[in-house]
Amino acid sequence: MTSSPATVQAAGTEGRTSLRQFTRVLGAVILLFVIWRVTTVGLSEGYPASFWISQALNGLVLGGVYALVALGYTLVYGILFMINFAHGEVMMIGGITGYFALQFAQARGWMEGPWAVVVVALLLIMFIGMAASVLIGVTLERLAYRPLRQAPRLVPLISAIGASLFLQYSVLLIFGVSPHSYRKPALISGGLRLGDVFIPYTGAIIFVTSILLMLALYFIIQRTKLGRAMRAVAEDRSTASLMGVDVNAVIVVTFMLGSALAGAAGVMLGFHNTVVKFNSGFLPGLKAFTAAVLGGIGNIPGAMFGALLLGLIEAIGPSALGIPTEYKDVIAFSLLVLILIFRPTGLFGEVLSEKKA
Amino acid sequence: MLKLDSVHTYYGHIHALKGVSLTVNEGEIVTLIGSNGAGKTTTLNTISGVLSARAGAVYLQDTTRKAGEQHGNGRDGDIRLDQLPAHEVARLGVSQSPEGRKIFARLSVQENLAMGAFARTDADGVRLDLERVFELFPRLKERLSQPGGTLSGGEQQMLAIGRALMSRPRILLLDEPSMGLAPILVQQIFQIIREINAQGITILLVEQNAQAALQVADRGYVLETGNIVLSGAAGDLLANPQVAEAYLGI
Repeated sequence: MTSSPATVQAAGTEGRTSLRQFTRVLGAVILLFVIWRVTTVGLSEGYPASFWISQALNGLVLGGVYALVALGYTLVYGILFMINFAHGEVMMIGGITGYFALQFAQARGWMEGPWAVVVVALLLIMFIGMAASVLIGVTLERLAYRPLRQAPRLVPLISAIGASLFLQYSVLLIFGVSPHSYRKPALISGGLRLGDVFIPYTGAIIFVTSILLMLALYFIIQRTKLGRAMRAVAEDRSTASLMGVDVNAVIVVTFMLGSALAGAAGVMLGFHNTVVKFNSGFLPGLKAFTAAVLGGIGNIPGAMFGALLLGLIEAIGPSALGIPTEYKDVIAFSLLVLILIFRPTGLFGEVLSEKKA
Repeated sequence: MLKLDSVHTYYGHIHALKGVSLTVNEGEIVTLIGSNGAGKTTTLNTISGVLSARAGAVYLQDTTRKAGEQHGNGRDGDIRLDQLPAHEVARLGVSQSPEGRKIFARLSVQENLAMGAFARTDADGVRLDLERVFELFPRLKERLSQPGGTLSGGEQQMLAIGRALMSRPRILLLDEPSMGLAPILVQQIFQIIREINAQGITILLVEQNAQAALQVADRGYVLETGNIVLSGAAGDLLANPQVAEAYLGI
C-alpha cells in the first residue's frame, strides 16, 4: 500500500490540500498497522513455509475465478461506462445451469465412464453453463440497459441492482433456498502432493482453464477484427459508427463475451465450493468488482492482475494479519475502500484518465 | 449523387438546421462554408446518420439500380439516408473524416486504417487502397505500429483522411481538415484533397478557411445559423463582396 495519494488532483484549494494531508496520514497509519500485525502476530505464529505456499495456491485458484468475472465488469465498463451489478448473478445462473447439466451427466453414468468421456462431459457442462449465462447477459442488456442508454449514468446502475435482485429471487423461487451440491467425478477428486503442499486437481484445472480463457479473450480483443471494433467503440462510439461498425451489435457481443467467462467461472466455482444456490453470485460478484477496481476498471490486463492479487491477499491476509479466516471478506472490502480513497483509478489507472480526457 | 432536401435537425430543443437543401454531383468538390456554429458539422453528421433529421430528406443515388439520372433527386433509384443508422450510411459509401480528426488514440495507425475498411470483405481491394493511402501520405507508413494518439496534429489529419479513404467511398465528407494545422500543412492538405478528387471521389468539404476551400471547390454553399444563404460556383462566391466581407477577411 503506497502512502502517496498521487491521485488527489491539483491541490489548488485549501480544502484539497488538507484532504491530501489527511489521506497521507491515514495511509501511513494503515501501513504501520498492517506492518505491526504482520510482524507481531502473523509471523510469530510460526506457520511452516508449506502452509503459506498452500494458501497462496488457493488464492491463485480463487483469483483465477475472480478474474473471469472481473473481466465481464471491466469489458462492459470499458464500452458503456456502467457497472453491471447483475454480473455476479449472470455467473450464478451459469453455476446453477451447470449443476443441472452435471446431474444429467451423472444420471447417465458419464461421470464414471472412461476418462475421455468424463473430460468431454465436463467440457460440455461448462459450455452449457456458459451458454445459459450468455443468454441471461444478452437479455439483461436488451431489457434492462439498452432502453436506458441515453439516461443519466446513475439510472442503468439502479436498473442493474434491480436486475441483480430479480435474478437472485427468481432462482430462489424456482429452485428453492437449499444449496445444490456439485458432486465431483472420481477422476478429478484427488490431488497432487508435493512435499507438504497439497494441490487438489480441481484447483489446478480451474486455474489452468481460467488462464486459457483469459488468453483467448486477450487474443480476441487484440488480434481479431471484432476485438478491434470493440476497442474502437470503447474509445469513441460515434466515430466507430462512421466506420460502418454496428455499435449495438458490438455492445451485445461484449455482453456475450463477459457473460460466457462468468458462466465458466460459475461452473468452476460450483466444483470448487461444491455448492450453488440463489445467492452464490453475490459475494464473488462483489469480489470480482473489487478486483476490477483494484486493477483499474476498464483495463483488461488490470482486471486479470487485480483479481489474482485479490485472491492472494484474501488467502494469505487472514493468517498474515492474525485474524480468523471468516473475516477474509473484511480484508477484500477494506481493500476496496482503500483503493477508492488512495487510488480511485486503480493500479493501472492511467488508461481511465486518458479516456476521460 | 447526394441531395439534401430542406433538412431540419435539432439538438434537443435547439433548432440547428432550418431547412438545409444542397446537392453534390458526381465528381465534384463542393464546399460548405460558414462561421462557427452555423451548422456545418451538424449538416455532415445528419448526412452520416450520427444525427437524425426531424424533417426533410437526404437522398443518395443508388448505383446498384443504374438509374438513368446523374443526380440524386428524390425519385426512384435513390436511397433515403436520413432513415438509416450511421453504420449503414457508411456501408453505402458515404465516408466522413470528422471534425477534430477523432483518431482512435489507443489503436495503432495500422489498426486505425483497418477500422476505415471495417465493412469491406475484399482483402485484395483493401490492400490496394492501403497502398494508395501510403502514396498520398507516405508519413503514415513510417508510423504504422505507433498508437494513433502519439501522432502530431498534421499526421492525425492525414490518418483521419486516410482512414476515411480506406472504405473506398463514393463520397467523402471532410470536416475542417485544415483546423489547427500549420500554414504549410494546410496547403499540403488542400493539394491532397485535389488529388483524391482527381482519383474520382466526390467530396463535400466543410471549412472555416473559406478562401482555401473555395479555391479547390467547384461549387460552394454558405451556411448561416442553420440556413443556406448563398450558393453558386466557387469562383463566383470568391468574387462575391458579401462573402469576401464575412468569410474571407478582406
